[in-house]
Amino acid sequence: MSGTTPAPVEAVSKRRERAKNGGQGVVERRSQLQIWGKSALLAIILLWCLFPFFWLIMTSFKKGDLALNSPNLFQGPFGFQNYEAVFSLNFHLNLRNSFIVAGTTTVICIIVGSLAGYAIARLPMKRKVLLLSGILAVSLFPPVALVPPLYELWLRLGLLNTWEGLYIPYTAFTLPLTIFILVTFYASIPKDLEEAARVDGATPFQAFYRVILPLAAPGVFAAAIIIFVQAWNEFLLANTFAPRNPEIAQTVPVAIAAFTGAVPFQRPIGTITAACVIVTIPMIIVALVFQKRIVAGLTAGSVKG
Amino acid sequence: MADTQTASARGPADAGPGGPRAAKRKGLSERTLAKVFVSPSILLMALVALFPVIWAVVISLYAYSRRQQVGFGGLDNYITALTDGRFWDAVWFTFVFTVTSVTFEFLIGMGFALIMNQAFRGRGVTRAAILIPWVIPTVIAAQMWFFMFNVTPGFINNLLGLGNFNWLGQPGWPIFAVVFADVWKTAPFVALLLLAGLQTIPGDVYESARVDNASMFQRFFYITLPLLKPAILVALLFRTVDALRVYDLPAVMTGGAFGTESLAILVREFVVRTPNPGYGAALSTLTFILVLGIGMIFVTLLGRDLVIGTEEER
Repeated sequence: MSGTTPAPVEAVSKRRERAKNGGQGVVERRSQLQIWGKSALLAIILLWCLFPFFWLIMTSFKKGDLALNSPNLFQGPFGFQNYEAVFSLNFHLNLRNSFIVAGTTTVICIIVGSLAGYAIARLPMKRKVLLLSGILAVSLFPPVALVPPLYELWLRLGLLNTWEGLYIPYTAFTLPLTIFILVTFYASIPKDLEEAARVDGATPFQAFYRVILPLAAPGVFAAAIIIFVQAWNEFLLANTFAPRNPEIAQTVPVAIAAFTGAVPFQRPIGTITAACVIVTIPMIIVALVFQKRIVAGLTAGSVKG
Repeated sequence: MADTQTASARGPADAGPGGPRAAKRKGLSERTLAKVFVSPSILLMALVALFPVIWAVVISLYAYSRRQQVGFGGLDNYITALTDGRFWDAVWFTFVFTVTSVTFEFLIGMGFALIMNQAFRGRGVTRAAILIPWVIPTVIAAQMWFFMFNVTPGFINNLLGLGNFNWLGQPGWPIFAVVFADVWKTAPFVALLLLAGLQTIPGDVYESARVDNASMFQRFFYITLPLLKPAILVALLFRTVDALRVYDLPAVMTGGAFGTESLAILVREFVVRTPNPGYGAALSTLTFILVLGIGMIFVTLLGRDLVIGTEEER
């Protein structure tokens, strides 16, 4: 026991200790130290992810010109001035547009995508590989390839500056990811359940609708969050097809990019940071609350899909 | 749905474990149901993604003047594009941006994933925090980093003691700021994907390597990396294809000035600002070929696992 090199012995005993929780002095202190060291490294990640938001929030509360002139985050006075300015610019209408566009995209994607996902995961089909390759190819499409032709088309159909003009292409672009995520979730549901339903006399459609769909709800929910976030964040098509007018269809990212202030050629830092905070806080809450679902969905959609 | 499908009893016996019995039942047979279920997706993707891309090729063959078609131009638009320095500048920026940002995202993301895979305390919090840069709109990240890099209020300059260094307003440096913002936003996402891959590696593999006296670096290079290869390739595929499409960050941070005009910004210029549908379509087609081509290289590298992977779980 004592003849071997110290490293493996330590590793093994460390393991055992963790399991039994009754170890001897040195080794335990060492592993304790390691655990704290590793947790300290985690702090770097936290700082990386969160510090810019701290900057954002502090800046958004600064009054008047202070946000633009003082790099010191803690220098007051602070107030809600910038937030009042944001809503006087009809930002609530931008929020409405984004909600409608992202919400519609999510609903259509989930309905259409969950059918396709189920068929691919469970039903017999010819040329399944070809179909999956095609879906993968669409997920690799650069959206900018659609900008010139769809602009011409929307111009003729009168879909520029409309909600439809946005959520239709969003749906097509988000479908591949939706299908990949849902295929993974459907595939993880035990097959016996459907068979039992079929033995009880259900048609294939009933087996899907009554048995599998309710079980897939967590996966569907995960996919829905991811679709919503992507549609909510989209900028290129939104900025091209609906660049102006919060009253009609201008979405949140376009508004945040386009805010102009009283001083020409100078971005209104207060208004922009306040608008960013308004959008960011709910999204952070969503990320924290649904953390596990989102991670499951993201990894299902990419690592396996 | 009320069709009598009993006639389709010729459904092959290999039609899943439902077996031949299934086809005799009332309602749609499994094969028909599969077609019905898949067709809306295919239709939607074909109409809104595939058709416009093909139509763009058609548009790109015509000459336009002030958005009015003035005649067939053949490959003129392509020749103009390929001989235009502006196009090649955009290709160069997009390429440099992609290589540098994906490299740093991968290295930092890998570091983060390894840390998170090791730590016990605070792992849950970090996993939640790591989602936050991913979840916020890129436009917000762009505005945020624009102001942090900008001379006023000069947060980064103040932090680094650089005085009035103009990160965004002189040639050479804006690309650094844009890449930095992208790495900040997506390195955590890469970490998430790699972490998922790391967690599929069984612990006993490391345990036996330790017994065999393998050093930390040996363990990383001979065990972690090879076993993580599929996850790494998928992360690289998604990030590369995404980086090649870059629009939001340079559009908001610099408006494409100082050599930060990406292909996406360039295409949009010829659709909105100086409308020339033919030329814009030619540029978008070239971009499409470039991005899809690079994506396909990755897919072939990944082999069929990428496509089949989901199916093997059946």
